[in-house]
Amino acid sequence: MNIKRSIVLRVRVVFILVALAACAIPYKIAVVQFKEGEKWIAKAEQVNFQYREVPATRGNIYASDGSLLATSLPFYRVAIDPTIVKESKYKAGIDSLSRFLSAFYKDKSATAYKRMINDARLDKKRYLILNRKQIGYQDMQKMTSWPIFRDGRLGGGVIFEKVEKRYRPFNSLASRTVGFLNEDEYGAGIEYSFNNYLKGKDGKALFQRLAGGVWKPMFDAEDIKPENGYDVYTTLDVNIQDVAETALRRQLTDRDAAFGSVIVMEVKTGHIKAMSNLQRNKSGVGYSESYNYAVGDIGSTEPGSTFKLLSMLALLEENKIRLEEKIETGNGAHRFYNQTMYDAKNGGYGTITIREAFEKSSNVAISKLVDMHFGSSPSKFMAYIDKVGLAEPFNLQLAGEGKPFFKKPGSKTWYGTSLPWISIGYESKLNPIHTLSLYNAVANGGTMMKPIFVQGVGQGNTLVETYKPEIIRKQIASERTIKALQELLEGVVLRGTAKNILNPNYKIAGKTGTAQKIVNGRYVETYYTSFAGYFPADRPKYSMIVVIDSPKGFAAYGGDVSAPVFKEIADRIYALDMELNPINQSKILQAENQGPALPFIKAGKGEELQGIFEELHIQAKAPAAEEWVKTTGDSQKLNLAINETDKPVVPDVSGMPLRDALFILENKGLKVNYNGKGRVIEQSLTPGSQLTPNATINLVLG
Amino acid sequence: MNHLKAWIDEHFKGDPIIWAIVILLSLFSILVVYSATGTLAYKTAGGNTELYLFRHSFLVFLSLFVMWLAHKMPYRKYALYARLFMYLSIPLLIFTYFFGSNINEANRWLTIPVINQAFQPSDLAKLSLIAALAAMLAKRQKNIKDFTGTFLPIILSIGVICALIGMANMSTAILLLMTCLLIMFIGRVPVKHLALVVMIGVMGLTVAVFAGQRGETFWSRIEAFWESKDDDSKIPFQAEQSYIAIATGGITGKGPGNSEQRNSLPHPYSDFIYSIIIEEYGLVGGATVLFLYLALLYRGMRIVVNSNKAFGGLLSAGLSFALVIQALVNMAVAVGLGPITGLPLPLLSMGGTSLVFTGTALGIILSVSRGDHQDEATAPEPSRVSNRLRTA
Repeated sequence: MNIKRSIVLRVRVVFILVALAACAIPYKIAVVQFKEGEKWIAKAEQVNFQYREVPATRGNIYASDGSLLATSLPFYRVAIDPTIVKESKYKAGIDSLSRFLSAFYKDKSATAYKRMINDARLDKKRYLILNRKQIGYQDMQKMTSWPIFRDGRLGGGVIFEKVEKRYRPFNSLASRTVGFLNEDEYGAGIEYSFNNYLKGKDGKALFQRLAGGVWKPMFDAEDIKPENGYDVYTTLDVNIQDVAETALRRQLTDRDAAFGSVIVMEVKTGHIKAMSNLQRNKSGVGYSESYNYAVGDIGSTEPGSTFKLLSMLALLEENKIRLEEKIETGNGAHRFYNQTMYDAKNGGYGTITIREAFEKSSNVAISKLVDMHFGSSPSKFMAYIDKVGLAEPFNLQLAGEGKPFFKKPGSKTWYGTSLPWISIGYESKLNPIHTLSLYNAVANGGTMMKPIFVQGVGQGNTLVETYKPEIIRKQIASERTIKALQELLEGVVLRGTAKNILNPNYKIAGKTGTAQKIVNGRYVETYYTSFAGYFPADRPKYSMIVVIDSPKGFAAYGGDVSAPVFKEIADRIYALDMELNPINQSKILQAENQGPALPFIKAGKGEELQGIFEELHIQAKAPAAEEWVKTTGDSQKLNLAINETDKPVVPDVSGMPLRDALFILENKGLKVNYNGKGRVIEQSLTPGSQLTPNATINLVLG
Repeated sequence: MNHLKAWIDEHFKGDPIIWAIVILLSLFSILVVYSATGTLAYKTAGGNTELYLFRHSFLVFLSLFVMWLAHKMPYRKYALYARLFMYLSIPLLIFTYFFGSNINEANRWLTIPVINQAFQPSDLAKLSLIAALAAMLAKRQKNIKDFTGTFLPIILSIGVICALIGMANMSTAILLLMTCLLIMFIGRVPVKHLALVVMIGVMGLTVAVFAGQRGETFWSRIEAFWESKDDDSKIPFQAEQSYIAIATGGITGKGPGNSEQRNSLPHPYSDFIYSIIIEEYGLVGGATVLFLYLALLYRGMRIVVNSNKAFGGLLSAGLSFALVIQALVNMAVAVGLGPITGLPLPLLSMGGTSLVFTGTALGIILSVSRGDHQDEATAPEPSRVSNRLRTA
């Protein structure tokens, strides 16, 4: 047989063998499809695998001073797939694991745990929740060192399911501004409005569905790592927020009111420093934040007399009036067409100046003036609303902003009485935040700032988004008009409806408001009281609005109900804010002139101390290139001396904080025991003495 | 029309049926991989399914181009290249074992520095070993029964390469060894020598199992396979999912793109692509694919019959068998006839650079099938050939 024929023959033999072997493949397919088909199809329906989302860690919400307003903390639920661990390891570890579990959860005996896991293992149950209690991260870390658990997800079968919980260190503080988000991604406040930043990007992992609709993660790691959400930095100040909330709650409780809101805004920037909304609980007892009346749709209502500021602005801008001009208010009633306008004071104010009319909040005077000067062309008056930027919503950072509503002259709903009523804050709708912005603009010399709740969004030290102060209207009125309006607002507190909040320490400027409420289409004897203003009036730093709805009791006017809250909050802010407070400032100056009592810094890292001294403008020079230093000197003068810790002797750690002392001593191989708090005042081994390795040194802190 | 035919005749030489099968499978591959990567795309590319479609299509066409280039080259040149690349692959394999990128706990990948493309040196080693084996066998046909002059050098090459591959990738090594045995059998090596190879192979395997990276995986997979024979609960996850795919596919399948098991079956685009094919195209589709591979093998075998030279015949037969046997093993694993190996289905799986090596192998087969590269001399020295047939 020649070579070629032999080769060809062999190839053919091999080919036939291969082809025959290949026939096994369609045969096996047929077996799986027809003979075992039902079994597998049933399994397909029963066992289900799915790529499910692994939620990303939600970003934090911070106050402007860096305090945490909302954060997410990971908790874990501990389960086990008891069928995974190998027999030998199982036998060796189950007893001690059960003991650990029992000691940790303290709800069942070790034997009960052992039996539970044993049974599940025998039943081939792939998923057993060991305890419903959710554990913290530290505990989870600890558990990973327990027997069986230490072999991990694939070797030991332990499953730590992460459950994230939203945690608010300040509890209900500003809870409506911080907001919430429910599972349908619906919510309110910053949590909702900034959800796109906060939520991050969910990861994905393969899950297996088990009986009872439980989803068990198949593997330890996610297929796509979740990307954590960004942090949101708000403008809120926790101290001011706390003050505002406390004052508002007290007044609401005292007056048994329905709800109330406070907004504190920084004049120059439009930063919202505090925003509180409290509403009587459904149970009738107590108040809590359940709707943001300050911003939200439902909070949009007839502003009442606070709106007279705009009427005055329009009148002054048109150069129609002088403040000292007299106006006849008569007996406190004036008829416009078929309706009568009344003043709050029975019998009326008689003939008064326009300034007095504003200070006393005379409805008759303001409406008469507006009707007199704009009656023939109401659109001219309405144009001022647009000019100050109140005709349109602000597009606030918070979702659900109420839309300002004003009738249009000439429209079906526009009556002959519309203009006079609009001029005193009726027949229109505004949110407290809109009204506040107008007052803020007056305080700010005419520049209308957009209210800002969030100044930045980012992660760690990098901001991905910063929100700068935004101007809505550069100048809402001439400087002269603004000046006049400022005087008017100061007058309200000096002589007018808010005399009760006059105080000798600083000046408040503002306007009271009392709007009658409409119930079933009729004005009834319940009121919406407000006070909007700013302080200190001579160099405004904060503007604020307080609204209280449906207060009960005798004096239910803005001056009586809302203005005191304004004052209480303003007082506290004033006391807290050193920049504002000349009394405190003088004390500081005095202390500075007396010559400084130098800070009690006795020892530490040279570089760090140098930094502190520079910050405090203290002349003290650390010896160059020395790591650890000591300070000597009295309260007038500081000297830094080298603390030689490099030498192979017991170092001198007196005056050091524990952290530094531990670092130095343990680097020398010493064992450290300590007592007390503060800085080291005593050490048991004499500085400079011979170093014995592993010796113990006792420190007394004080 | 005649122009087209003339153009095709001029530029596409060799067995037209092999061309047809390869092109058919390549296009089918794009279709199935597109469907099977749905989940992968969702997982890693943010749902951009086209990313994998384009990448895979590009590689498929690249491999077809490489095949075309390879078939232009006179096959005799491959004897020299094969040997060169075989020697080159030895340091590459060692280097990869220690420094390669680690995927699935085995170092199998090496990144080419300049173009930054990862590839598996074992692909190169496999291809060059088979081609070199064909050359060695052809050269020694006259004294094929000689133990020291013929058998020893041959078995040394096979042993070294298989052992090195086996360190990181047991399945590939065993399959390669089996393929080499077949080629040696075809190449008239005495059966008693082959028995010796089997023994050495078993020994090498044992060493690799204990010393290599994947020894434990290897045994656990075989163990799982045997245990699952009698106990359904021991069936590995992948196998179970594969059975579900096959069973729910039925005779005609769920239709292109309708696979559900791609979501739960690991590597539905490579190791278990055959299950997805059966799920989407049914028993009929599965059988058709199997038939195409056997047809490819048959045409590869026909070349042996038509070839005048031992080298050409052995080269063609060796490469065809290597390719088709791997395909059969992959299919057998998918349907549950063997333990899980992790071998891709050549021509169909999404496999990146290994597609290019498959293209090269097919190009070489086509080059042999052209017939016009034949030469009178018996099993010529590789160096001489490369000088002579520049113009062919």
